Parts: sequence; C-alpha cells; structure tokens
Amino acid sequence: MTGAVALASGPGIEAAAFALDPAPALASAVEVLWDLLRPGTLLRIGLDALSKFGLYVTVAAGLSLIFGLMGVLNFAHGSLTMVGAYLGGAFMVATVTAETGGIGRLLLFFLAMALAFAAVTAVGAAIEVSLIRPIYDRPPLFQILLTFGVVLVVDELARIVLEFRGIQPSTVWEAPWGTRPAVLGGFYDVFGVSTRGIYMFEALVGLAVVAGTWWFLTETRYGLHIRAGSEDAEMAQALGIDVHRSFTVVFGVGAGLAALAGVLLMWDPRFGASVPLGVETLLIAFVVVIIGGLGSFRGTVVAAGIVGLTDATMTWLFQTHVPFPGLPEMVMFLVLVLVLIVRPQGLFGVAEVGGH
Amino acid sequence: MGTPVGAELDVVLPETRTMVAVLYVGLFAMSFDFVSGYTGYLSFGHAMFYGIGAYFVVLAATDKVPLLGAGTPFVVLLLAGAALAVVVALLVGAVSFRLTGVYFAMITLGFAEVAHVFVRNWGYVSSNPRDGASIGGSEALSIGIPGVATLDVGQLVGDSYESLLGLGIDLSTADVSYYAVGVVVLLSYFAMQRIVHSPFGRVMVAVRENEERARAVGYDTFRYKMGAFAVSAFFAAVAGALFAAYRRSVHPGNSFDLFVTADALLASIIGGLGTLAGPLYGHIFHEFVEGVLSTEEHGLARYLRETLPNTVLGAGYGDVTVVRIVNVLIDGRAELYLGVVFILFVLYVPHGILGTLRERLGGPVAERLPDRARRYLRGGGD
Repeated sequence: MTGAVALASGPGIEAAAFALDPAPALASAVEVLWDLLRPGTLLRIGLDALSKFGLYVTVAAGLSLIFGLMGVLNFAHGSLTMVGAYLGGAFMVATVTAETGGIGRLLLFFLAMALAFAAVTAVGAAIEVSLIRPIYDRPPLFQILLTFGVVLVVDELARIVLEFRGIQPSTVWEAPWGTRPAVLGGFYDVFGVSTRGIYMFEALVGLAVVAGTWWFLTETRYGLHIRAGSEDAEMAQALGIDVHRSFTVVFGVGAGLAALAGVLLMWDPRFGASVPLGVETLLIAFVVVIIGGLGSFRGTVVAAGIVGLTDATMTWLFQTHVPFPGLPEMVMFLVLVLVLIVRPQGLFGVAEVGGH
Repeated sequence: MGTPVGAELDVVLPETRTMVAVLYVGLFAMSFDFVSGYTGYLSFGHAMFYGIGAYFVVLAATDKVPLLGAGTPFVVLLLAGAALAVVVALLVGAVSFRLTGVYFAMITLGFAEVAHVFVRNWGYVSSNPRDGASIGGSEALSIGIPGVATLDVGQLVGDSYESLLGLGIDLSTADVSYYAVGVVVLLSYFAMQRIVHSPFGRVMVAVRENEERARAVGYDTFRYKMGAFAVSAFFAAVAGALFAAYRRSVHPGNSFDLFVTADALLASIIGGLGTLAGPLYGHIFHEFVEGVLSTEEHGLARYLRETLPNTVLGAGYGDVTVVRIVNVLIDGRAELYLGVVFILFVLYVPHGILGTLRERLGGPVAERLPDRARRYLRGGGD
C-alpha cells in the first residue's frame, strides 16, 4: 500500500485534469484502458495482485476465524500483527549472521514464524480467558470496545520495550531487512516485468496459510466445533460441544495467525516492523473480512483476492496515470462501502451473524 | 502559585489551555454519545464530521472556500461547516442505516477512512496535505454576534484583558478563549439535552432498547435514526470548528483519524454511554491523566526528576535505575494507563462514571444529590 512512492510523475499527469474538459478526459480514459490491456501491464498488475493477495489473506485469516465463531471483531488484531513483526524481526536479527546461507535464513524464518505463532497464541488465549469471557452475556459491541482497550495497552507496551532497546517506534525498523536471503531480496525479470523475489514468496506463504486454515477448519475437532458454532451456537452447545473451550482455542489461533502475518510483513519492503503497522494492517483486515462476509472463510479468501487485485490495479494507475498517492487505499475503502451497500452481509456472509 | 504545595498542585491541576481542549473534545465526545449512546448505533467514523468542521474553518479562513471569503465572521463559518456536516451525514446515513450492529460501525468507518485518505492527499488544502493547513496572519476568529459582542478564540492570538472592568482580574488569550468556547459548548449541550428529553429523544432510546418494537408501535425508526445522526454530525462539526479556530491549524491526524473517534469512545465509556454530559467528564479524566503524565514542564515525570534526590534517582540494578523507570513508565505514557482504565471500565463499570452515579442516586445527580447530602448530614434519619 505504501509501496508506491517514487513514481508520482508518470507519463499521464494530464489525466488529472479530466474534471475541467470532457474531451481530453475521454481521450485519456481510452488511453488508460489501452495501456491497461497491454500484456506487460496485465502481467505487472497480476504479479503485484498475487503478492498482495498472499499478504492480505494472511493478515485477515485470524480475524475471520475469530469473527466467524464468536462474533467478536478483534480490534487488537493489528496490534498483535505488529507484535509478531517485532518478535520475528528480533529473532531474525539475533540469529542470522553474515555467514548464514540462503536456506539457513529461510529455515530460521519459518522457525521465527512458528515461535511467534506459539507465543502470541498463548497471549491470545490468555486475553480471551481473562478479559473477553466475563462479558459474553453483554451486547457484542462491548466485546469490540474491550479489544479496543487492548490496542491502547499493547501499542504502548510495545513502545516502552522499543524505547528500552533504543529502537524508534514510529518509523520502520530496518534491521530485519538485512536478514533476508539474497534469493528474496533481489529483483527478477519476468517477461519484461521487474518484480522482487519476496513478493512471490509472500504469495506462496499466503497460499500455505489458506491451506493450513482450511485444514484446521475441515479436518480438526476444533474446526468442526467452529463450523458448528458459527452455524448455530446454542445447538452446538446442546449437543455437548464445550463452546467456551472452542472460543479460547479459536481466539488463540486467530491471534497467532495475526502474529504470523507480522513475521511475514517484517521482511516486506512496503511494510516493515513499526508501531503504526498495527492500524494499517487492522484496517486492511477489516476490509477483507467484511467484504468476504462474516463467518465465511471462503469469503475471506475471495475478498483478499478482490482487494489485492484492486490495490494492485490502483497502484499501477497511480504510478502511471493519476498523480494521487492515496488512490489505492481510498479505492479499497470505497470497495468496502460499495459491497456493504449492495450486499449488506458481505459476499459470502450469513445474514444472522454480527448483529443483523 | 505561591502556596506551600504549589509545585504539587501544578502537577495535578490542569492548565487553561488543557481545559479549552476539554471543552471542544468534550463537545465532540458528547455528539458521539448523542447518536451512539442513545440510539445504540456505534458511529465509528464520527471523526469525519469533526474533520469537516475543522477543515471548513481553516480552508475558509485561508480564502479557499468559494463564496465565503477570508473575512467571513467565524460564527457564519461555524454554522456553514456544521450544515455541510449535516448534508454529509444525511448522505452517509441514507445508506448506512440499512445496516445494524457491527456492520453499521464498519460502514461508517469505511466512509470516514475514504474521507481521511482523500484529505491526506488533497493538494488543494496546502502544498503538503499530510501536514494539513494552518491559518496565517494574526487576526483571531471570534465568537458572538458580529458587530455587537464578540470574544476572540485563539491559543496565541486574540483578546486579552488586564484588570477586567477594574476588578483586578487578568484574562490571558487562553482564558478568553476558554469562556468563548465554553459559551458555545454550553449552548450545544443544552440543545442536545433538550432533544434527548423531548419525544424525539424518547424514540431514540426506544430504538436502542428494541428497534423492532418501536417500529411495531408505529414509529418510522429510519427517519429518527437519520435525524439523530444529523444532529450529532452538526455538533461534531461545531466542535471541530472550535478546535480549528483555537489551534489555528489542522492536520489529518488530529481531525479525520480513527484515533480521534477513539478519543470520543474513550470519553464516552469512562463518562458513561447514553448520559450526554458523561463524556465531558470522561474527557476531563483523559486530559487529567495526560496532563499528569505529560513530558512537559508541569508533568509528574519532570516533578519527580527535580524533587527526588540523586541517590534515589540513581538507585537500581545496573541499567535499570529509578530515573530510567520514571522516564519510560511515566513520561508521556498516558495511553498505557488510559487503556488499562478503559478495559477496567468496560469490564466492571459498564455504565461509566455518570451512569453509575445516576444509578446509585436513583436519578439525575443535580436532582438527587442535595437530598442525599441533606439526609447524610442529618445522620441518615428519615
């Protein structure tokens, strides 16, 4: 999202003047469309969309799980992603040396993911048991508000730790970028389109997260409970499923997935570990989950694809034709608003979940 | 202050400029509570209306709004900005009130974020829209009836009086702003209070308690929700306009940001959702904590560093000394403690300060308290 910075003055700056004179506007609209449909452009947008899909689905998966079962919109999700980014970064910086080879770095990276997932899963479960469980009988808005308080505390705690370690909290911590293996750091030429190795890596990780979550939902006992619980919580309880235990597990796994996303983002040159990363990813996760529809993981996957494609297209448009840096982000929220107007329960949502 | 505990009071008592902020943010929080607390529809994009009011004033004062030149009286700008916010609220509300619960919160957040991103990149505002815009010059904006009686608002520019009416009372620019902003906030509060206690307000509460029943009884709840949203947007924009006039500058981060809505939310939860006046007290608490834990001159951290002897400050294990703990845990750490207090309030005091007080007293504080106090003073015998 923040990746598009340098290329503000593309060839089609005049496209911005479309509001004044209709004739050139029409001409440049045709020009933009012509430009868009060239194979090179489509490939460039496609590759970008693929990487963003990987990122967004990873960022949103945990939120989707928690929301689907419990109806709790976890505002702390982004903050947990931020914590994951710093945990992963700290682990990589501490273990990777100049001699570590490419494979070694990748293995350490996956170890960092596993560790961050485990640590934050425990934190998430603790949050659920100590803070959210006591207020299940209240209106769902209170649970949302509570997680919002968690944001304030977690962000401030992160700032305290960072200050103690002498790291600037509001700007991106760049040290972890040095731990990327050369394979991922470099640029590649794919049929004349330049892309980074890390972007394709993100797409692969995203697919792995989708597969893993799918497996969790369809093959494990807790997955069964989740699907039963989001279908009809009361009935599930009556059939002997310990819904409370499922809630704790799901909240933990959802939080762990948030941290996993953070570890991935720590390597990404467009994001990187910083405290503001929390809000940035939270908003993305909201958009993806709401567009997909609450209680539907399939919806979340599809929505991540839609949002990724929209973001990639708008980033391209900004870089080449429309000199408005906020374009990708703004259109992303417009898509959210439009989807909610046309289909209030989201693309795949069940109408009853989430206070409808 | 020449009193024996002057330094201590300096830490605890808020400054005038803090109290001005309490007034305008308090008004914003009250407007948030007006729609969220009374109708139960959480307006998560409320900062948008605050931002509209603030940006409208700054843009008009820098001669960037057509028809309203730089010399337009502030009161006109205030009302025009608020009217614009009402129009936006009606447009946003028309599509948003088809949704309920979490979805309503999310669609209003979506609209606000569209506006936020737009304003952050809108080159028309200034050459660097990310840093916002400011009103140049030294002409203060003033509140009142133009040509009859006005009071200037401004952090650094505006009226100041020495020995007012020969009474020996000095009023600085901040003091004058305090009263000027205070008048508007008070009037706005009375207006909202009036609506809340009118039949219209009763229907708002009915919507919160059971919307379907309200509809079944025959009320067109959609129109009531739209009305409440519009009124709420109006006063949010008034608060934003006061903020801009006082600060004379505005940037996206302190007007359109999600965390501005969060401030209103924090104030409402601590003060009491659905109590109208509560959020003002909630925000006083917020500013109080922030003031005590501030990094500035009057903050607790600086007080401790200056008062505690060096032996105490230097004590500790190796790297972890008392002074370092003070610096890290107290200096500018208000958010941490506010977050903890917020969580505790959500868990244990769901009705907030004012809501709980009213519950205990069995009615509005002003009505019940004198009676209670009298009974207590007589020894509880009646």
